[in-house]
Amino acid sequence: MLPDIPLNMVQPGSVVRISQVVGGQDDVKRMAEMGLQTGTEVEMLQSGSPCIVRVGQAKLCFRQSDILNILVSTD
Amino acid sequence: MSVDAPARTLNVALVGNPNTGKSTLFNALSGIRQKTGNYPGVTVEKKHGSFTHKGQKVELIDLPGTYSLAPRSPDEMVTVDVLLGRQANETKPNAVMVIVDASNLERNLYIVSQVKELGLPTVVALNMGDIARDKGISVDVIQLSQRLGVPIVATQANRRGGLDQLRDTIVSLLDSDSIPVESPFPEEFRDKVGQLHAKLQEHDEQSTRYLAERLLLDTSGYLEKELTSGGKELHNWIVESRNQLAELGQPVPAIEAISRYKWVQEVLDGIVTREATRKVTLSDRIDRILTNRIGGTIFFIFIMTLMFQAVFSDLVAGNLMGYIEGFFEIIAGFVDASLADGALKSLLIDGVIAGVGGVLVFLPQICILFFFIAILEDCGYLARAAYLMDRLFSKIGLSGKSFIPLLSSFACAIPGIMAARVIENRRDRLITILVAPLMSCSARMPVYVLLTAAFIPDETIGGVLSLHTLVMLSMYLLGILAAVGVAFVLRRTILPGETPPFVMELPSYKFPSISGVLMVMVEKGWAFVKRAGTLIFAMTVIVWALSYFPRDEEAATAPFAEEIAQLETQLESASDEEAAQIEHRLAEINNQIDGELLRGSFLGMAGHWIEPVVRPLGWDWKIGSAAIASFPAREVIISTMGVLYNLGGEEDEESAPLRETIKEAKWAGTDENVFNIPVALSIMVFFALCAQCAATLAVIKRETNSWRWPIFTFVYMTVLAYVGAMITYQVSALVFLS
Repeated sequence: MLPDIPLNMVQPGSVVRISQVVGGQDDVKRMAEMGLQTGTEVEMLQSGSPCIVRVGQAKLCFRQSDILNILVSTD
Repeated sequence: MSVDAPARTLNVALVGNPNTGKSTLFNALSGIRQKTGNYPGVTVEKKHGSFTHKGQKVELIDLPGTYSLAPRSPDEMVTVDVLLGRQANETKPNAVMVIVDASNLERNLYIVSQVKELGLPTVVALNMGDIARDKGISVDVIQLSQRLGVPIVATQANRRGGLDQLRDTIVSLLDSDSIPVESPFPEEFRDKVGQLHAKLQEHDEQSTRYLAERLLLDTSGYLEKELTSGGKELHNWIVESRNQLAELGQPVPAIEAISRYKWVQEVLDGIVTREATRKVTLSDRIDRILTNRIGGTIFFIFIMTLMFQAVFSDLVAGNLMGYIEGFFEIIAGFVDASLADGALKSLLIDGVIAGVGGVLVFLPQICILFFFIAILEDCGYLARAAYLMDRLFSKIGLSGKSFIPLLSSFACAIPGIMAARVIENRRDRLITILVAPLMSCSARMPVYVLLTAAFIPDETIGGVLSLHTLVMLSMYLLGILAAVGVAFVLRRTILPGETPPFVMELPSYKFPSISGVLMVMVEKGWAFVKRAGTLIFAMTVIVWALSYFPRDEEAATAPFAEEIAQLETQLESASDEEAAQIEHRLAEINNQIDGELLRGSFLGMAGHWIEPVVRPLGWDWKIGSAAIASFPAREVIISTMGVLYNLGGEEDEESAPLRETIKEAKWAGTDENVFNIPVALSIMVFFALCAQCAATLAVIKRETNSWRWPIFTFVYMTVLAYVGAMITYQVSALVFLS
């Protein structure tokens, strides 16, 4: 099994699953409200900062530093 | 419910995630019957609208788009306060309409789950069905309605689809007072909420269960500070309860997201179908180009060029501005012909018509700019522009969301500052508001045009780049660079703090609603006319009074009395050619008398008084007076200089006599020219950086709800302008005058 990596390291076009969202309680909750929580499938559409990811049916932009705390599994 | 005699007014609050078409639906439902305002204390815009359907009047209140009803800032607290009837001067809604995006139900139902807990009669508007269909998604609306326990109406806000049925359903909400509250939380959590509710009610009987729940969930401490007097015992109880819940496997606040998404999953199970493979939509294809670093940047530059071309070109804006100017000239001519010379005529022509006309002339540019911005926003492009700009803006501590307000400020800082409402983070919004007046607005243009044409040699660099263009461009760049510098300094000094996470949703592209776009344009244009017009009107009357009184006409006319009498006698027997010469001389004398009167006025006196202060900038007292006169509105400088240099107040930036006269102006008692390249550059830099716009300062006061920020803006910009102008003069004097 491959180790988890931060979401910002994911290559464009890859689909990954969130394994854990770490960080302050409020940040974790804010991410969850945007749909980013453990188990969610995410597609990296455009890497870099800010990057564009697809979460469910929505396209969301994040800065690199903001998604460092989102760990994903690439299995 | 009886159709003839409505039992009560229905107050409906509109809530929903950003980009779900909420405002479009609000506009479509209420038409022109809407009113915008501001909540006291915070910069959240409140929008009220109404409609009457089958004899029932319905009042709508459009709340800011939000992903959740968990308040963490004063702005978000407003939404909750309105929904709970805790907002002063706001009627408690007796129903709620939640607007959801049919193509993104997993996330949009999160807020539905929160709204349902309020227990108010609720209707869900299922919007953007067309986009869902494009994505290959279909929803069983009847089943969804049954599972949610509230009526659902499919709408297409931008095409006005489903409106009648929506109105029917909204009116039918009158039949019930409440809906059963259904909590998605586990029993242990609900018990704790019940206990906390009872505790809160001991102190405040009005306390609701909903607030008790939010208090338990909000670990940031914001609500605790906001709602309770911060009693230690209560705080300890809440912390202890959270620890107990964590031990039971229900960690707060993660429990909220877990419980609500679980509920959403159960609601949607089996009633939303998708095609097995994700469809590549038109939005996806467009995004491949428009969010691409190279392709997107090229398109962005193209769109911005097109927009500025429309705003500043003669084709549309220029011609309309010409009509407005012509209209005011006709009115001025009419007043001139109908009234005898005197204070009233001067007040009307030089004060009211010149002042109000001087502001209204920018209306076409404002409308065109907002027309473009509304279209770009409605079709979904602005979010892409903010995405592209974020890389640049993050370097100075702002986010891409500041791009639109700063862009609007190139036409006029007033709508620009109002546009800063799209920025959720208060500090980012404040910094954007404070630097927006540094963008070179259209009122600075006349100053740049006059001084560039008069003093900058008409040469080209390398046979291509005109020196005039270069100087004009430098003034725009100066404003941008100053804004970057000020934002950078503010971030590190008086407005420090962590950079907030930048999270933004890119909505699917859609065809803009033409009526919505026109409505935005009219609304912004009218707000500009009303707010800027009333203030400018008052300020120009004050400036007029300062430049008119005290007035000793006899003393000013005395040196010319003999010559005037002689010329008037000669005029009676003069040939046509001679008459023209005599009239020309009489006009010259009149202008000299006007100049003398202005020199003796309070404004003239102030000019002499501040001369030592403006000398380091290379200015004489006349330039100083003109600068003082233009503090309420910078466009006043041209007409003031016209009067001060004895040319009459009707001069504009294209005026050849004004250009020639200021070129020839000498320091008193010497042969030394007042104006030269360093002085011209120093004036331009001063006007590029100074806060000479009372209307802008008034809007900053309104948006920040404090006098502190307009005073701060005025002081920092005036100091910046003075220092900038002094450095420009002193350095360029070494280059050009040595």
